[in-house]
Amino acid sequence: MNSTIDIIGILSAVAVLTGLGIGFGALLGVVSERFKREDNPLVEQIDALLPQTQCGQCGYPGCRPYAEAINQGDALNKCPPGGEATIHALADLLGRAPEPLDGEAQSEAKVAFIREAECIGCTKCIQACPVDAIIGAAKLMHTVIEDECTGCDLCLDPCPVDCIDMLPRSAPLTQWQPVVARTSNMIASDRQPASGVS
Amino acid sequence: MSNAFDFPGGIYPPERKQRSNQSALIEAPLPSRVTLPLQQHSGQPATPCVAQGDTVKVGSVIAKREGMVSSALHASISGTVGEVSTTQISIDGDGQDAWLRLPPLEWQYAEPHALLERLNESGIVGLGGAGFPAHIKARVVERHTIDTLVINAAECEPYITADDLTLRHYANEVLEGAQITAKLCGAQHIVIGIEDNKPEAIDALKQALTNSQPVPVELTVIATRYPSGGERQLIKKLLDLNVPSGGLPADVGVLCHNPGTLLAILHAVRDGQPLVSRTVTLTGEAITQPGNRWVRLGTSVRELLEQTGLNTSELHQVIQGGPMMGTPLLTLDTPVTKLTNCLIAATLEELPPPPAESPCIRCGECESVCPVALLPQQLHWYARAQDDAKLERYHLFDCIECGACSYVCPSHIPLVVDYREAKSRIRLQRIEATKAEHAKHRFEFRQARLAREEAEKQARKQARQAQQRRPSNTAATNSEKVDLRGLRIAHAAAKASVKKAEKTLARVAQEDPKQSLDDLEMQLATAQENLKAAELQLAQAREQQSSEESS
Repeated sequence: MNSTIDIIGILSAVAVLTGLGIGFGALLGVVSERFKREDNPLVEQIDALLPQTQCGQCGYPGCRPYAEAINQGDALNKCPPGGEATIHALADLLGRAPEPLDGEAQSEAKVAFIREAECIGCTKCIQACPVDAIIGAAKLMHTVIEDECTGCDLCLDPCPVDCIDMLPRSAPLTQWQPVVARTSNMIASDRQPASGVS
Repeated sequence: MSNAFDFPGGIYPPERKQRSNQSALIEAPLPSRVTLPLQQHSGQPATPCVAQGDTVKVGSVIAKREGMVSSALHASISGTVGEVSTTQISIDGDGQDAWLRLPPLEWQYAEPHALLERLNESGIVGLGGAGFPAHIKARVVERHTIDTLVINAAECEPYITADDLTLRHYANEVLEGAQITAKLCGAQHIVIGIEDNKPEAIDALKQALTNSQPVPVELTVIATRYPSGGERQLIKKLLDLNVPSGGLPADVGVLCHNPGTLLAILHAVRDGQPLVSRTVTLTGEAITQPGNRWVRLGTSVRELLEQTGLNTSELHQVIQGGPMMGTPLLTLDTPVTKLTNCLIAATLEELPPPPAESPCIRCGECESVCPVALLPQQLHWYARAQDDAKLERYHLFDCIECGACSYVCPSHIPLVVDYREAKSRIRLQRIEATKAEHAKHRFEFRQARLAREEAEKQARKQARQAQQRRPSNTAATNSEKVDLRGLRIAHAAAKASVKKAEKTLARVAQEDPKQSLDDLEMQLATAQENLKAAELQLAQAREQQSSEESS
């Protein structure tokens, strides 16, 4: 008597759980199709950490392609404008070991400057600029919009007359940084004998 | 005063105000040469509008406002313009002191618009120390409702007596200036907050109160404690209102002004006199005639101190501002600016250099005196470690840099120096981040433009081919399989992103009309370019398909 009830109980439990499994499985399947994202959110996060100079020194045409390549497993250390800070931020994000920078780190922010007297108006640098920071027209003088220039160097090579220089970016007073001379942190008892001797 | 109306922390440093508040407020001698820096206010520096050799009178505009938050600059003596550089303008005086005044305004009958314009062209900025342009501050009513105007006469820093003397001499005028400001911002009450260590100023105010019209004025005398003159601290103490973190006093319906600023506003409106001079407290043990002076802007600090009997052999350092928040001057050949409220010529015994710094012992003294209830020792560790995420989580940007923590620190750690450094570092990082984001958008726009141009080229090519094909009727069909469905999805996605960009732009433009929308406009343009490219590709594919079907 009890055994029939037990079998019904067992069967109903199995049926309910299977039903739930199928139901939620279907729901998950539908949701993943319905709210499918073409772009990879991790690529967005990686891209946000890159310096966006679009310089191509990593071997990819811009920061976003490099972010996609990092997501596919490429090395983290190919971004000289970002330097060590970017490598560490990327390593933190992806849980990988930071590697030393491949290439020379940039010491200061630079911008391109066209020596306008020498410019022949060939528009080659305009075509090379990844952020449209150079204005000018054919056979007319070109110039760089300093605020828009990312200092990527990409305009240097195409210039047939070598009239482009990379100059340090001018820093407005509002971006002034205080220079703080840090004394070494010594405990007071260590300091006393030295001053006592002298 | 009840405890509820109180801010946390605070310290009681020696006041040392007696030295400068004994003598009357007098005019300093007219300088023979002035140097006027272009940046004497917060925001963008002014742009010079005079050239070398130009003749100017007192009150002639020599530099114009540049951008939104900025202020005009006027000649403070009459004479000829000497040198105009990118940072300052110098004027050689002719000793005439010829004035160029604007027409006087009757503020009771003048339009608010005319009053605002007067503040703008008179170059008035907050004279308490921050130097925020007064005309921008008055325009706060465009987005906030102001109920109370607070006159900040607390002057809590040791040594400084400029506001004290201003109130003793010009109590009526300061209140009239307050009435003008109250009219501009629509305030229903005026509250004066003053510390109880200025009995003469309090008496003068009490007398002036009775005939101040039309907004009622209330005088609240508070106990002397540093830093009760901080804007947020004073609002808490007078009105028991908490200004939100990262917000403005206007968020709680309050506007705060310094008595000196109100006096300058009155002079600008009633007399048409732009901001060319200010009261400066000259004090310290190293000068023999301390006191307060009306000083023309641009006067050399050295000249000013020598006129008051500077004892060079005794002088250890000159501090601009108060001893708590001021900065030591590296050279005396700097000019008095709109922000110079006090000059302390201190001897070595008076303000000795701080002893060498020792490590933090975590005593917690700093925490108990912090008027903003921050955790200064935690901030100290994170600032030294340059842990910016933690610094922001511990509300570094709420620090008012009052220096109470450094004052009580038994290890003599210059805590505020650390915070200032960290703040400017984080600010620079934010600027860099916005710049990178901007570059990214420009790059995306360029990519979209190139894609559109490529699609247009393809379309033209196809049209040409079709034209050639029709008359000859050769079936030179493309064997490529057209992915019409994929293109349709891409087209729909591009359309959606254009709509999204339009919506964001409209929302931001409505929320904050003054914000620069360049970046958002560029994102919209990028989306539009993408849409155009997708449309072209789709049209092309459809045509190809139909031609395939017909052939």
